Amino acid sequence: MSGIARGLLGWIDARFPLSKMWREHLSEYYAPKNFNFWYFFGSLALLVLVIQILSGIFLTMHYKPDAELAFASVEHIMRDVNWGWLIRYMHSTGASFFFIVIYLHMFRALMYGSFKNPRELLWVFGMLIYVALMAEAFMGYLLPWGNMSYWGAQVIINLFNTIPYIGEAISEWIRGDFVISDATLNRFFSLHVIAVPLALLALVVGHILALHEVGSNNPDGVEIKKNKGADGIPVDSVPFHPYYTVKDIFGAVVFLGIFSVVVFFIPDMYGYFLEHANFDPASALNTPDHIAPIWYFTPFYTVLRAIPDPFGGFVGMSLAIIVLFFLPWIDRNPIKSIRYRSFLFKINLLIFAVTFFVLGYLGLNAVTPLYSQLALRFTELYFLFFIVLWTYSRSRGVVFWISSFVILLGIITLYDVFINTSERTELIWQTWSIPAAYLVITLLLPFLTRLGSEKEVPERLTS
Amino acid sequence: MNTCTKVLAAVLILVFVNPVWSAGSEAYKKGTFGKIHIDLSNKTSLQRGAKYFVNFCLSCHPAKHSRYKRVADDLGISESLTKNNLIFTDQKFGDLMTVAMKREDAQKWFLGIDPPDLSTHARAIGPQAVYEYLKSFYADDTRPFGVNNLHLPNTAMPHVLVNLQGLQKAVFRNETDKNGKEHHVFDKLEMLQPGSLSEKEYERVVVDIVNFLAYLSEPAQLVRKKIGIGVLFFLAVLGVLSYFMKKSYWKNIH
Repeated sequence: MSGIARGLLGWIDARFPLSKMWREHLSEYYAPKNFNFWYFFGSLALLVLVIQILSGIFLTMHYKPDAELAFASVEHIMRDVNWGWLIRYMHSTGASFFFIVIYLHMFRALMYGSFKNPRELLWVFGMLIYVALMAEAFMGYLLPWGNMSYWGAQVIINLFNTIPYIGEAISEWIRGDFVISDATLNRFFSLHVIAVPLALLALVVGHILALHEVGSNNPDGVEIKKNKGADGIPVDSVPFHPYYTVKDIFGAVVFLGIFSVVVFFIPDMYGYFLEHANFDPASALNTPDHIAPIWYFTPFYTVLRAIPDPFGGFVGMSLAIIVLFFLPWIDRNPIKSIRYRSFLFKINLLIFAVTFFVLGYLGLNAVTPLYSQLALRFTELYFLFFIVLWTYSRSRGVVFWISSFVILLGIITLYDVFINTSERTELIWQTWSIPAAYLVITLLLPFLTRLGSEKEVPERLTS
Repeated sequence: MNTCTKVLAAVLILVFVNPVWSAGSEAYKKGTFGKIHIDLSNKTSLQRGAKYFVNFCLSCHPAKHSRYKRVADDLGISESLTKNNLIFTDQKFGDLMTVAMKREDAQKWFLGIDPPDLSTHARAIGPQAVYEYLKSFYADDTRPFGVNNLHLPNTAMPHVLVNLQGLQKAVFRNETDKNGKEHHVFDKLEMLQPGSLSEKEYERVVVDIVNFLAYLSEPAQLVRKKIGIGVLFFLAVLGVLSYFMKKSYWKNIH
């Protein structure tokens, strides 16, 4: 560093903790040296956030939040604005990629127990980011004022109608009108470009501060701070900068490659990222053939539809999101990483991942008698996952396993006997086998076999 | 990669290659009239398509998000050619391709339906749908314009290309399904009165129109992929460099 630069830095450091922050968060933030593929998604989420904010700023320069002009202004961006199509596709593709990255990031936390003590608050911050992101995406989806924007928002806002007594007042308050209208579009624009992004940025800062306070978890789930060298630096660690900055740069380039394939070659992703019905302008008179939310909401949409009572469905959908907040207090098993947990834990997590995909798939499709039963069954699996996860917190006796099996299967069966209906009754009993098989595997195998046995956690990182 | 990662990858692939198409009309099977092959590199086809479009479609269907100048520039048509051959109203070269017809008139003539804007609607339904629609008009005296359509039953649009294609008759037959139920299903189209074009010539007209509409619904397509290849090439080089940078930084970490 030249003399002038050092002088300038000294001048700044006397007034602002620039070097101190650089050290604390980058050059002397010690991260475990064994991060694998799954550890790219945190920095990638930050990258997508930057892409969304930058592309969003340019879209806002040309977009018009007015029911008469919004649709045409998006087409104006696509046709008349220089590089407008690229900015728009980056933003629309970025929305979907944001959720892909966040879902993988969250799944990583499930695999390696990254939400466990002392990272509970880190997880809660992350969940708040996820919820804010859903709000951001939902409101952004109305802005193009296409027909699917309009009808999708109609369906989602009407969900609040199902709340007893105050529901209609709430949805009216959200819309600012009795129907979705110019007023709704205007406030969604305001929330989408100012309110939620501000909250998101604040939450991201909180998330990173919480992370740097406790340090990163790793694929072994071993706390590196327990093995410090004479210099007080964890033995199995590397400074984040330059080691993980150069690694994440490589990850970012690979990610941008995949991102660009979508942006430049399949920007509508066969109707998944940009739904075809949204190329027609919003029309209160013309309902699309099939209203489906955009793909990242469909798992929860299926939970909503699986419960026939409208308010019950609304509660079920909300619970499906709320339960995630409590993961640190559900999974109390002291072993963090999937590497040392039981075979049955792995199976349980795998079934959960598959369940999430199946719920998402069902939410994209129209309801048939079979799909409606499958939606119910996989909703059951979704919630059972958390109960089973809790039972795996420590070793249990035979009585515990058998009684939880009987109670849970009993509740499901009672629901089928008294509440569940289908045009094709045989489907009820055929699909009943799904949760039944799940409970046999997860609750009976622990004492019938040795598949529930866990491995010993090493003292230090293995790789 | 552990087992979890592998299975997750497999599920991801399965879900994303499974397309969700909405169901079409049940009277006939989609694709009966062949599949359209969009070729935006064929400038002469696009130019012919533009000519047919302004002659047959634009009098009722607007393309109000597109400008004449943009079309002319993209398709390599000069300003004077455009003014003399593509703009029939007193609109200017840089104007949007709107129609003079009033909305109320349109709704009165077309059974209360506003002819959809083709600069975006063509993308909403996709080129294959436009292609099948233009090929599957048939005579039906019960309809106000004397024609019906297989792709879009009870369409409000007259067969504007009837003088070119000629008037077809739809032949239906009865079919019994496994449950013993009778169905009135579409069999084939037969020519009643031939038009001025042969079947092959008419096919070319339809392909040109659909090709043009595919362009019109997203003009950026003409450059999007080309730029994408450049971007991917740049990222590939950057990827190799950043990979070796990472490797060299990490060589002493075990």
